This record gives sequence, structure tokens and C-alpha cells, in this order.
Amino acid sequence: MDPNQNDYHISFFKPTTVQAKLNRNLAIKLILVWAVAIFGFQYLLKVIEKPTPEVAYTNYEKVWENILSENASTEQMQIFAHTSLSVLGKGFCKPNEKEALNNAVSWVSYQLADSSQKEQLLIKTKEFENLKTEITSISDPQYIELKNSLSELGSNILGLQSNDPRTKIVSLELVSSEMELFKAENKELIPAIMSTYLIHNQSFLTDFKFLGFPFHYFYTAVFLLVLFVFLCWLYCVRIDKMYLRLDIEE
Amino acid sequence: MKKFILPIILLLTPSLLFAAGASTQLEGGFKVGPAIILITILCVFVLVGIFFRAKDTADFYAAGRSISRVGSGMAIASNWMSAASFLGMAAIMYGSGYHGLSYVVGWTGGYVLLLILMAGQIRKYGKYTAADFIGDRYYSQGLRAVGAIIAILISISYCVGQFGGIGLMFKWILGIDYTWAVIIGGTVVLAYTLISGMLGVTKNMQIQYVIIIISFLIPLFILSFKFDYFWLLPQIGYGSVVSDIVSGVNISEANHMFNALGHEFAIVPSPEFAMPWDPATGQTFFQWMAIAFSLMVGTAGLPHVIQRFYVVPKARDARWSVVWGLFFICILYWSAPAYSAFGKMLSANPEVGKLAKDAIVVYTAQLGNINSLIVGLLAAGAVSAAFSTVSGLLVAGSSAFAHDLYVKIINPESSPKKQLFMARLGTIVMSIIVTAIALLKLGLIAQLVAVAFSLAGCTIFPLFLLGIWWSGSNKQGAIAGLIAGGLVSIISITYFVAGAKGFDLPAAAFVTKWLGAWFFAWIGAPLAIITNIVVSKLTPETPLEIRKFLVLNVHS
Repeated sequence: MDPNQNDYHISFFKPTTVQAKLNRNLAIKLILVWAVAIFGFQYLLKVIEKPTPEVAYTNYEKVWENILSENASTEQMQIFAHTSLSVLGKGFCKPNEKEALNNAVSWVSYQLADSSQKEQLLIKTKEFENLKTEITSISDPQYIELKNSLSELGSNILGLQSNDPRTKIVSLELVSSEMELFKAENKELIPAIMSTYLIHNQSFLTDFKFLGFPFHYFYTAVFLLVLFVFLCWLYCVRIDKMYLRLDIEE
Repeated sequence: MKKFILPIILLLTPSLLFAAGASTQLEGGFKVGPAIILITILCVFVLVGIFFRAKDTADFYAAGRSISRVGSGMAIASNWMSAASFLGMAAIMYGSGYHGLSYVVGWTGGYVLLLILMAGQIRKYGKYTAADFIGDRYYSQGLRAVGAIIAILISISYCVGQFGGIGLMFKWILGIDYTWAVIIGGTVVLAYTLISGMLGVTKNMQIQYVIIIISFLIPLFILSFKFDYFWLLPQIGYGSVVSDIVSGVNISEANHMFNALGHEFAIVPSPEFAMPWDPATGQTFFQWMAIAFSLMVGTAGLPHVIQRFYVVPKARDARWSVVWGLFFICILYWSAPAYSAFGKMLSANPEVGKLAKDAIVVYTAQLGNINSLIVGLLAAGAVSAAFSTVSGLLVAGSSAFAHDLYVKIINPESSPKKQLFMARLGTIVMSIIVTAIALLKLGLIAQLVAVAFSLAGCTIFPLFLLGIWWSGSNKQGAIAGLIAGGLVSIISITYFVAGAKGFDLPAAAFVTKWLGAWFFAWIGAPLAIITNIVVSKLTPETPLEIRKFLVLNVHS
């Protein structure tokens, strides 16, 4: 083998030119900062996270046993319906989960209504269901009137306060055919639904607010991008200075 | 140029004012104002393309290496900011909350890798295309051909998501069927790429960047102002929107603010929108990390991104163009999550219904009751974003076809005229293939684009990384690495397509979990690198002239 051949080797870990060595050293430092800033932070989030229930979940836990045994008081039934509406309001549910929650809300509403309200609730819900299939726009005056009237009735039955955003979705979640019975298969689904949608991975990094953001969100969505631009800028400045110092002409 | 643009604007102004009162419906119907804005912008693009059209093959491939750093940075940003950035990122965050930030981080963090490990060195290597580099560095015509084919596949895969975005916007604006929208949009972008070539594309990209960023930011300022958040810097102001989503907003706190459908600006507490890997989103910690990593290595392996470094005069310019490019990109990436947050608030009432996630940026502006012309500008910006990327991808793909396959392998004696013809033929064929795949609607825009990233991360990235930084990496190692990375890619993509089309393959749950189509590079890239190293160590050394070139020209 030509002895000169071994003079022309280059490797990131064994750089054989001054330029490559300087480049390598700078690259290692910056990539280390880069990697720790991205992946290190996410690991930290993972390590310190704790499953944290929403208030709605804590309330649900208190009443669920009684709902199952059908010994729940009016207030407990209302709390259960509120929790179900909280999950429905998130808009994340799968179709079968939505069906179970619709059943829960409809059943509780019907159970808690007095005899005159029961009839009203059933008629209005059926009317609203029919109207939904007929209208071409949700700004239809008749639709709006019936929706508001049903929401008011449902909210009164469920004890929702007027400023609660859930009052605005009650009418949309009532199903006339689901009022008589809280189906066994839906009851089975409820605990899993509640824990999936009402328990979150939280820590002091997610609870602490920075510039209005949850801190971890700010860090990932805003700060990391600033850091990336800064690292790129720093690299270019350092490389330019190095090449100038070493009189390297590219 | 001005003498053409001004009359067009003057001619269109009355129509635009007339169209301002157009309907605010979210779906369906021909929207006059947005349509006029879109047509105007496309006319400007074509005119710019004609004025700066390619005169020969050197112009077509690499714009004559005459672009400034800031100009190149803008071109990088415009080239980069595709439908996936403009529409897809907000879509992912709207649907999956914090999980979507893995795309934001992945698509920006990769530039740090690209700059530190490759940008200057790639320019110093002095090749036109990714396949050129692979063929020369690994002294193999076969690998050049494989590199070209991979570059074409990546371009096609990347373009599919873009065509999907173009289709959605054309559908929204023209009120036509998605299929026709994709076909019409695809035809327009093809015509414009054919007319202009890369010189026109680069000039266009600078104009496109300005249009994209302005159209993206204006509605955001208006939304922030309208809903009483810190509007002077909405990229920070939307933090309070995120916190409001987490804690919930009561009707009394909504302060008589409504969306376009008359729903209060209120929401039940929804921490799943911001909390990491929340069970409600169905996404996991592993997926977050794997997606971020895959997108980063993919960024550093995308042929159309790497190719941008060939169009700057010096290696120093290549480096600084990345800094500028990333800064320009980040302006959009800082803003995109804000759309998802406002979108979440404004569509909180179930009555809004299930919105097409990929159009959530436009729906958010609509739900925020923003003037229909500005919403139209936003939609036109989305189309511009897709156009700018598609044209770059088509040039990269057609370059791989004409330059790397046809000229270098099939017909080295071909005339420049013939070469240009083949480049244009390649562009047409690619467009037809992409249109056909886009019509299958295989996934969300961002997810489809992420497939291209993982593919690049498993194939091109290891070849460039080792090719630049280790002279010991030889032809045999490159082939073995490509096979390893390629196998992982084929398995993942096969399972993805089969799953999307309803076929049940064995161990589908396992493959989907660990080798999902948007993140298979987490294992594919390291596997390809290790295989390359091991096989290179066991086989004959890289030829002297290659090692000498690396040491003397690339690292000295």
C-alpha cells in the first residue's frame, strides 16, 4: 500500500485537518446543547409528571359508586351529568364513547325531571332531533329558538349555572331514545372514558405560568425555536472567526 | 415587473371590494374574493417565472449560483414552508395538542444538525444534486442511480401532502369536488414549474415567502386583537389562549365575544390540549421523541433542502443562508400553534361540527369572523406555501431524473436542449404520479410529509453524514446501509398503506406502534449508519482520490 494513502483519512472522531478538528469541537458542544435542550427537557417532563385529575374527575369519583348502585341523590346525579358534559365538551371522544356519555346525560336529565318536565324534555328533544335533520343552516331562527329552549330546560334540570359553558351544549347532547335507561354496556365504558379524558400528565413545569403560557408549552413552542436560531447564528459567527484567525480561505 | 403587477391590482380592486361581503359559511360555495386573490397571486408567480425563466441547464438546476445569503435564506424558508407548515402543523396541534409540537421542534431543530454537520461541506463538495454527491463520493454509478431514484421517491412522497393541501384550498375557494381541486391545482403548479425552472423558482420563492408570511400573520394579529389578547406579538399573546383552554372559560368571562356562528368564546377546561402526551390524544411519549428525531434527521437528508446549498456562491454563504432560512421559517413556526389554540377556542361548541383538521387555519380565521378577503388571502397563502415547495420538489425530482439518471447514466452525450426536455418530462411524470396518490387521501398533510422525512432520514442522511465525516465509509458500506434503511422504510410504508386501505397484515399493531410511517427513521437512520460502518470496516478501503478530495477540498 502506498504509505501516502494513510495521510488522507478523515473522521469526525479523529479529524486530521485543523479545520475539521475545530469544526468537530464546535459541533460537539453545540449538538450537546441542542440534544439536551430538546430531548433532555422532554425526559425531565416525563420523569416528574404525575397523573393529575381534573376537578370534574374528583367529583365523578365521589358519586360513581352511587350512580352504579342507583342510590345517588339528585345532587350526585347532577354532578355525574356535569362530568359527562365536561368530557363531551372537549370534543375528543370516539363515537362509542360519545354514545355512552350521551346516554348518561340523557338518562340523568330524564330521571331528575319532574313529571311535567319529563314530557317537555322528551317532546322538545325529539322536535330538536327532527329539526336538525331538516335545517340547512344553524342560523335558522326556529332551530335557534328550540335549541335555546331545550338548553334552558336541560340546564335547569341538571342544575347548571347560567355562565357555565356546558349550558350551551346540553341541547346538543340529549338523545330522546337514550333517556329511559342507562345501558349496562355504557356503564362499563364510563370509568375508562373518565380516566382517559380527565386525568392529565402534569408537574410544576406544566402548572407554572410564563408569559401567559404553561411553562413547558412556552419552552417547547417558543424557546426551543429561539435556541435553534441562536445556535445556528453562534456556529456561523464562531466558524467565521476561526477561519479568519487561521487565515483559511474557502 | 411593476408595470404588470400594478394594472392587475387596479383591475381587480373593484371586484375585491364587491366580494368583501361574501358569505362566511365554512364549507361549500364558490368564494369570489378568495378566488380572485388566488388567481392574482398565481398570475404574479407565473409572470415572475417568465421574467426569470431558466435559459440553460445550469440555470434550471442551480440558478446560476447567483443568489444572495438573505435571498437564499428566504428561498430556503419558502421552499420549506409547505402546506405541512402552513396548514398541517396547526392541524396536528388542533387534533393532538402538545404532541403536535414534536413536528414544530422536528422541522426546525433539524436545521441545526444540517448546518453544523453538513451545509458548508456540501457546498464545498460542489455537486448539483444529492445523487451527484452519492455517485461521486461512493464512486458508483449504481449508487448514483439509486440515489436519484430515492430522491424522486422522497420528492413524490413529499409532494403528495402538498397536493392534498392544494386540493383542500382549491376545494374551499372554488367550491368544487376534492378530486377536481387536486387535478386543477396540480396542473397549475406543474405549468408554472415548467415555465420558470429553478431560477424563476428562486426569485419566485422570495416573493412567495413574503406573501406566505404576510398572509399567515395578518389574521393572527386580527384574531388576537379581536379576542382581547396581547395582539402586538401574537406569537407570545396566544400563551394566554392556551392557558384559558387548560383552565376553561366561563360564559361570563367570554365578555360578549362570539365566533362567526354565534357561539360564546367559552370552553370547558381542556388540559389535554396542552399537557404532554395526554392519554386523551392517544399519543405517547415515545411517539413524541421518535417523531421529533425522525423529522430532524429527515431535514438533514432531504434532497430539495440539500440542493439549496448548491445555489449559493460560497460555503460561508451556504452556512449563513441556513441561519437566515431558519429565522424566516421560525416566524411562521412561532405563529402556527396560535392558530390551533384560537381554533380550539372558536370551535369549542360541538355545533361547529367536525372540521377538516388540515383546513383548521382557514376555518379559525372564518370562525373568528375575519373579513372574507383576509381569509381568502390566508387560503391563497396556503396555496403559495404548497406551490413554493412543490416547485422546488419537482425541480429536485426532475433534476434527479434528467441529470443523474438520464445524462450521467443513460445518455451522457445528450445535448443541453435534450437534457432540459428530459427535466421537463420528468416534472410532468412526477406530477401525474403525485396527483394519483394524493387522490387516495392516505392521511393528514403533516403526516404524509413526515413519511418523506423518515424516508430521507433512513437513506440519504446516513450517506451524507458518513460521506462527509468519515472517509472510511465506502461503496459496500453505503450499499449495505441503504439496504438496511430501505428495508425499514419499505416495511413501515407497506404496513401504513395496507392499514389505510383496510388490509390486515401480520403483527400490524406492533409495526404501527414502533415503526409508524411518520417516525420510522428513529430506528432506520441509526441502523443504516451502523450497518454502513460495520460493512465499510470489513471491506476494501475507500479509494485514495476520494479520501484526498475529502481531506483537501471538504475539510481544509
